[in-house]
Amino acid sequence: MSAVLAPRRRELIRAAAERSLTRRRLTGRIAQGLCAVAAVAAVAPLVTLLYYTISRGAGALSWGFLVNAPTPPTISGGGISTAIVGSAEIVGLALVLAIPTSLLAALFLFERSGRLAAALRFSADVLTGVPSIIIGISAYTLLVLPLRQFGNLAAAFALAVLMLPIMIRADEEAMRTIALDLWEAGIALGARRGRVARSVVLRGALPDLVTGNLLAIARAVGETAPLLFTLATPLAAMTLLIYTDGTQAFPVAQQTAWGTALVLLGFVLLLSVAAKIAAWRISQRAR
Amino acid sequence: MIPDAALGLPGGVDPGSHVRRALAGRRTRAGEPAYMALRWAGAGLFGALVIALLVSIAGGSGQALVHSGIGFLWSATWNPAAGQYGAGILVVGTLLTTAVAMVIVVPIGLGTAAFLSELAPSWLAAPLSTLIGLLAAVPSIVVGLWGLIVLTPIFANQVEPFLASMPVLGWLFRGEAYGPSILLASVVLAVMTLPTMVALSRTALAAVPVADREAALALGATRWQAVRRAVIPAARSGIQAAVTLAVGRAMGESIAVAMVIGNRPAIPASLTAPGATLGSAIVNQFAEASPGIGTSSVIALGFVLLILTVAVNAGGQALLRRGHGTAVSTAGALR
Repeated sequence: MSAVLAPRRRELIRAAAERSLTRRRLTGRIAQGLCAVAAVAAVAPLVTLLYYTISRGAGALSWGFLVNAPTPPTISGGGISTAIVGSAEIVGLALVLAIPTSLLAALFLFERSGRLAAALRFSADVLTGVPSIIIGISAYTLLVLPLRQFGNLAAAFALAVLMLPIMIRADEEAMRTIALDLWEAGIALGARRGRVARSVVLRGALPDLVTGNLLAIARAVGETAPLLFTLATPLAAMTLLIYTDGTQAFPVAQQTAWGTALVLLGFVLLLSVAAKIAAWRISQRAR
Repeated sequence: MIPDAALGLPGGVDPGSHVRRALAGRRTRAGEPAYMALRWAGAGLFGALVIALLVSIAGGSGQALVHSGIGFLWSATWNPAAGQYGAGILVVGTLLTTAVAMVIVVPIGLGTAAFLSELAPSWLAAPLSTLIGLLAAVPSIVVGLWGLIVLTPIFANQVEPFLASMPVLGWLFRGEAYGPSILLASVVLAVMTLPTMVALSRTALAAVPVADREAALALGATRWQAVRRAVIPAARSGIQAAVTLAVGRAMGESIAVAMVIGNRPAIPASLTAPGATLGSAIVNQFAEASPGIGTSSVIALGFVLLILTVAVNAGGQALLRRGHGTAVSTAGALR
């Protein structure tokens, strides 16, 4: 091969390279444009969803809507107070069940390694993906059928089972990122394990624990399917009320559904934002 | 920075484990038994709940499986009035809506993830991913309400007639445009699974080392070629996990689907015909099921759904763990 290419050949190679580059740049432009279009398509549903929920829900919203008990469709002035109180009671009761259990189970996973811990961890990961409706059916067969009674207890049980795997995994991750070295240091200093768990692990991981648990709560508040099998009346929870009123053809019922959806969405977004702020404060402190 | 293995992910040895094992062997002191017992109680209660869940669903469907036999799984008739129960049509409906939802959500989700992780400037990527994160927080019932009241008329009057009028593809959408349909349910599912798809594939893309991109660019690749030929292949197992977990979520969604699918347990003539899925049938049939065999058959639908989703999710988890460096717990990535 000659050291110097003939000018003519050099010209040909350069032209081919430029053609290739032009083609590749054009493909790149088109592909990048398509990705941007995809991002717009991804955001568009959220924007229209928020727009409709706010514009239709705001029409229903008033002080009376929040504090009055529901009335039959023909009588005006009804509210959704029973549903708000019901949702709060169910989620509150579920938290009483889920938070201590998940913290203890997470400590177990954090401190132990081995087959049992791996099996529990795997069950938690798989249970996170089990449809909520199945958890509802399970609560129905375990509690509603034997007790012959629908009610908040069965609903709270279902939501607790729903939250548990999410909380356990989030808690364990929080403990590991914050406190693994500190845990070993604490034990090495001769402190009792319970003491280390309380003063080092839980305290050190607290902000992360708050974030993870808030997100689990946000998910539980918005669940409908488990309540379908555990509550006797749709007036007992916000999500059920949206379902029964939203699927009716009457404009009044639909307005109630939109109003309730707005209140629910407000609650859930508030919880998510609180979780974001907690996470942000952690990252600030870590600097 | 804690190595992946320390996060309890398999495929590596936890570096602290020998220390911990040595420490765990220490003699316990006063006050320890109480703490140990509590810890065991927490873990035991969770394990017991998992087992109770499986046993209750399997046990509750026993009567139906005895009544209908194993044919329950594929029998195509769901006719409670005649005492005929079968999950076949509903399994088909579940797989069909999920498949159509994936056809919509995979390109959009992957494109969005690539845009956010590789192409968009950070001032744009940050607010966009916050917005998509918000979508994950929206309760499914609100998405269902939006689908039912806002999308249904649009689909009945504009989208479905337009799709039916297309030259070749129109065949898929032929027939009366009702609004509530397999197609509408799939669109709602696509909206609901989008955040999962975007968050997980974005995490997978972001975990690819910067050096891979630099190497591709140094070889003369354009920015897009670096993404297409270097980054996406390297993130493949993470993206597969994202799709798998989105499939699991789509199959299990019930309430929003029940609101927009039209609930007709029959073989759909086209994608614009109403249909039913396992989840939507459970929602609709449960209240009116006759005690005993009827209720048990509905629970058996749940059992079939449980098996399908657990299989898919276990696969997704395995994929997540296989992709080194892209491994994250679902709970963390879905925030």
